[in-house]
Amino acid sequence: MNDKENGDDSLKPQQIPSTGVEPKQEIAESPEAGPEDTSPSVPIAIEKPDAVEAIKQPVDADGSRPLSVGHEPRTDESASSVAVKPVSVKKPQSFFGERPLPAIEMAPRVLRYQSRRDFLALGAGALAAVAGTGFFLPQDTLSRIGFHQNMDPPGKEWFLNKALRVDDDVAEALYSGTRRVPTYTKSQITSLKNNYNGSTPDPGYISVWKLTLEGLASGLSISLDIRNLLTRFPVHEQITRLVCVEGWSAIAWWAGLRFDDLLSAFPPMSQANWARVESSVNFDASGNPDPYFMSLDLATARHPQTLLATHFNGQPLTVDHGAPLRLLVPVKLGLKNVKAITSITYVAEEPRDYWAERGYSRYDGI
Amino acid sequence: MSHSTPPDCESKPTSTLPEQPGVLVVRKHHFLVRWSHWLNVPILLGLILSGISTYWASPIYQHKPDPNKGNTDVAADIGIWICAHVPGQHHYSSPLDWIYNHMSLGPGMLALALRLHWLCAYLFMLSGIVYVAGLVSGGGWRSLLPRRTDLLDALRMFRYYLGFPFAKLTRHKWLHPRFSTKYNALQRAAYFSVPIAGFLSVATGWAIHKPMQLYWLAALFGGYNTARVGHFWLMWIYILFVVPHVILVFADGWDTLRSMIVGWSTRVERSEVVVK
Repeated sequence: MNDKENGDDSLKPQQIPSTGVEPKQEIAESPEAGPEDTSPSVPIAIEKPDAVEAIKQPVDADGSRPLSVGHEPRTDESASSVAVKPVSVKKPQSFFGERPLPAIEMAPRVLRYQSRRDFLALGAGALAAVAGTGFFLPQDTLSRIGFHQNMDPPGKEWFLNKALRVDDDVAEALYSGTRRVPTYTKSQITSLKNNYNGSTPDPGYISVWKLTLEGLASGLSISLDIRNLLTRFPVHEQITRLVCVEGWSAIAWWAGLRFDDLLSAFPPMSQANWARVESSVNFDASGNPDPYFMSLDLATARHPQTLLATHFNGQPLTVDHGAPLRLLVPVKLGLKNVKAITSITYVAEEPRDYWAERGYSRYDGI
Repeated sequence: MSHSTPPDCESKPTSTLPEQPGVLVVRKHHFLVRWSHWLNVPILLGLILSGISTYWASPIYQHKPDPNKGNTDVAADIGIWICAHVPGQHHYSSPLDWIYNHMSLGPGMLALALRLHWLCAYLFMLSGIVYVAGLVSGGGWRSLLPRRTDLLDALRMFRYYLGFPFAKLTRHKWLHPRFSTKYNALQRAAYFSVPIAGFLSVATGWAIHKPMQLYWLAALFGGYNTARVGHFWLMWIYILFVVPHVILVFADGWDTLRSMIVGWSTRVERSEVVVK
């Protein structure tokens, strides 16, 4: 940070052996000495070992005059009276034992200069913190504390997205295609809430439901109904935890086909890295059609516990839980577990994502 | 503000002469420790405010839906109680949101709260590394280690703090317990525990942020839900620490506050403090 501090550090090794009082300090602090050491009956001299450590330090860090060597600092008098007291017990300084703080004689000018510098740095930091608060806080919050003018700066979204991207990169680095998520027993199953929040779709769509696959290596568009899927692929069961971005979680018993098996049966085009998973039967809070679309990296789609689930608690999925086919991807947040999937499209570039467009992260690996 | 000699820098009257005496100071805090200390102020504030905003989305403490408002959140109940009983809050428009409007960034902004929480969390980890680096290179970590005598000494300090206002009011002498170490036993307990709480907050944070890839970490804290509860209560350690910390640093005086800014202190000899 500055040459001054370094200068002090370089002095420390010389300071320690040069003081004859350190063992005394050690006695005062050693646990064996007992609590009496801190009781008022202890002579006051013991309380002053620091002062004895005083060392002349020729200070000229910022070009100031060196100190007058002949001057005795204020505390030296009392300190020397301590120093002449004989110390009978000498103990080696233990590694964990507290070292006395060395006292250093400094020129007032240097102290003033350093203090000014540090106070200015703190002031600048405080201003930066206030500016940062204004920059990052949402307009709602700012209005509540009395700033009504719109202060949403243009770079804010960009910066927060960058920060979010770092966290996504960390999540992606943590992901392993072979690491399985914990599974549970049936006695550990908990209730699973229907997060449609009152907009559960009308079950009429189920009778005409089809899953459309696009972006395949064959160049074709494939349409599958639920019977095709259930007869063609082996069914896997798992009891895993579903974790919502809101913070709640539920342990549930699922069964379905592996996404990986679907990828093997209908391989995506070679340049595809992503799947766009969509539910066109989703509705918003006021009941209007609100197609739900989500990006899923193919590495996660190939995870052995990533299912296209058809069953919940041993029964075919109900509308509440995304009949007749939902994505179950336990290594991602619940918002990636699309209910009532109607199409899967394989693409080369990261596709749009419903919740990422609403300020949440894109990768959502947990 | 620092253009003049700080009041504690007691120079002799001769200081007006060209030959100024030196000032004896002790190096109290390594500059990395000071940096991380002040960085933690906005970071912890950001973490707590965004954390409570996040809590709103799925409160840990819930009860059966309230028959009138359908509320299930205990924090909202507290807000309703405050609006009903605290003067000046009777006409508050949304009692359900009182807590979140006053103690967080606000309700209904989960996406932004999470982004800010993670931004602050990465900065908090960075600040923690800076702090540990400062403790190690300055040797300050030794002053934080608990001693065998600490329990008794901490009680003594606690008794001192309890009796202090009374002694001040009745103009009685009230002796500050003596100690020959950098910190007294209560300070040591606090300054030793808070970094541990910081470490645990980071660990429980990762456990609930990545409960699948870091499932072993979540299991270490008793599973995902228990880790969430732990993460929530760890927040209270900072709040409970900061309040007396700030009060006592002002009570202790300018030298103590300044030493966390400039690093040095002029208290080279420790003498008893007598309150008259």
